[in-house]
Amino acid sequence: MELYDLIFYFFAIVTVVSAFMVVTSKNIVHAGFNLLFTFFGVAGIYVLLGADFIAVVQLLVYVGGILILLLFGIMLTNKITSVELRTGTAHIIPAVIGVGIFWGALTAIVAFKTDWVEVNTASTESTTIIGLGNLLLTDYVLIFELLGILLLVALIGAASFARREIEELKD
Amino acid sequence: MEMNSLYDSLSLIAPELIISVTLLVIVLFDLIFKNNKKMLPFLSTVGLAVALITQAGNLTDGGFAFSPENTPLFYGMLTIDSFGAFFKILVLAASMLIIYFSSTTDEVNESFDRLGEYYTLIFGMVLGMMFMISASDLILIYLSVELLSLSSYVLAGFSKNKTRNNEAALKYLLFGAFSSGLMLFGISLIYGMVGSTNLTALNNFLQTGSINLFTITISLILVFAGIGYKISSAPFHFWTPDVYEGAPISITAFLSVASKAAGFALLIRFIRVGFVSYVDSEGFWKLSEVFDWQLLLVIIAILTMTLGNFSALWQDNLKRMLAYSSIAHAGYMLLGLAVMSDQGVLAVLVYFFIYAIMNIGAFFIVMLIANRIGSENIDDYDGLGFKAPLLGVSLGIFLVSLTGIPPTAGFIGKLYLFIALVDANMIAVAVIALLNTVVSLYYYIRVLKHMYLVKPSTEPPVIKPSFNNLIFVLILAVPTIIFGIYFTPILDFAKQCVQFFGV
Repeated sequence: MELYDLIFYFFAIVTVVSAFMVVTSKNIVHAGFNLLFTFFGVAGIYVLLGADFIAVVQLLVYVGGILILLLFGIMLTNKITSVELRTGTAHIIPAVIGVGIFWGALTAIVAFKTDWVEVNTASTESTTIIGLGNLLLTDYVLIFELLGILLLVALIGAASFARREIEELKD
Repeated sequence: MEMNSLYDSLSLIAPELIISVTLLVIVLFDLIFKNNKKMLPFLSTVGLAVALITQAGNLTDGGFAFSPENTPLFYGMLTIDSFGAFFKILVLAASMLIIYFSSTTDEVNESFDRLGEYYTLIFGMVLGMMFMISASDLILIYLSVELLSLSSYVLAGFSKNKTRNNEAALKYLLFGAFSSGLMLFGISLIYGMVGSTNLTALNNFLQTGSINLFTITISLILVFAGIGYKISSAPFHFWTPDVYEGAPISITAFLSVASKAAGFALLIRFIRVGFVSYVDSEGFWKLSEVFDWQLLLVIIAILTMTLGNFSALWQDNLKRMLAYSSIAHAGYMLLGLAVMSDQGVLAVLVYFFIYAIMNIGAFFIVMLIANRIGSENIDDYDGLGFKAPLLGVSLGIFLVSLTGIPPTAGFIGKLYLFIALVDANMIAVAVIALLNTVVSLYYYIRVLKHMYLVKPSTEPPVIKPSFNNLIFVLILAVPTIIFGIYFTPILDFAKQCVQFFGV
């Protein structure tokens, strides 16, 4: 096992364990903080894969932006910090065994028995930003522009949801 | 991509560009002329009309738009062909009807100060659908499905003061997020095997590459989950009744017609471009033998229509009843695709054309009545047929047509479907579909029984629709009858449109 593998497994375990804590934690603040490690672990895997730009964006947008907003949202909402989330499960042991075997077999066949296309990762470029920028404005220009419209629509939709109705204001 | 091919691509997607520009114009217009919200429907209609005329003028255009550089000849993000043109015309025409529909719906007009957002989001949906219809690249497929979904989540919960509205939006969002996650996972598996996101590349790979059948089956089922959610086929239909009942009724009508049409177009193109290795002389598709689409579709179709029809039997809310009926209709149309032949697709096109007219019509009358009596409950329809003769008769026509009884247009749709099934020797399936139609007769006719035969406990209110609304009802009701007798124009139009470019 090389150092590369060790680092990969480190980040993978960080991601999976903290993601597990996010969904099982009864305290919403704990869940929020555990999400930090999930995002961080994913960023680490991106770096290992040589996707430097995406790793930086992951840190800036998810860790620096979305997570902070999420935590602010939790802290500014009254009473939500003391809410006990329902995370109960029925028949946990048979469920774990059943799903584990089924899903384990599925994953094993999908992961190890398939001829995945291998892309040559030995690249002479020092960064992926140049290639990414070129692709986004040539081959994938339609996708790029459509994403702009998608974001505009999402923004308008969010504003429409967040805005108060006139009747509500009168109350 | 070179500049030349960029210009070519842009001219191929002219209708989509017009829709995008209209979307931006609506946003700006709403910002600048805050007090002129009454103009928004006109502006939207003009945008849609220009796009519709452009699209109708380019009916036979064919080509690949936005082909990546250094790739084989037949790759493109989008495929423009007359099959896509058919569905785009259907979506644009349905959108124009829905714009008028919205402008008369009380539920929408109550949120008067947010009308700008409403029409912007409608255009977001239209744009998403148009790209879904002609997408031949998995990235674009995913992105356009998301554009459509995001806009419709917000619209489903547009009138925020009602609890059932918020419930609809939340359920729609949760189901949608989950199924688009499944679809994205499926797409990533396909990309991992093929090494390209292009559907033509997928087809080439399936004919040459070494394939793990197990992995490809899982990934295709995952992708189908995403599309099945959009066309509300069983077992991905659970959101449909709640969302259709809770959303503003104009959005319900839009989702049940246009959104479903886009989903079907996507599914048909996905199978046709990605899996068909050749078409034999009788028009039957020969699929690459990696995945039995026919078996999957037949099972899903039978499940969908049976569940839809039998659940509709118990519904007392008309919106909810029409929601289950739209699930059942998705089942019939899936059967048309399951035939896997040009004739099957022809049947789907004809069926969709007719389904759009009669379904929008039925929802419109339910809306007119709900505007007046504030309820969609079947018991409140007692004796309404005599107080509002024209509405009663028209609703009767739409419901009879939805059942598929001659001389209405719905019969023609079902007829071509059954012909396609029998031609492909799928007799047993045709019989099941026929029995389902008999079941559906009960719940459609039950509405008529309440309107004409049940004695009302209290005197029903008089419903006097405005002149414009009457014209709108007639625009939908008259074709439902005429196309039941003289259907050659639809058939010719659809025949002209069963053309896929580049395959």
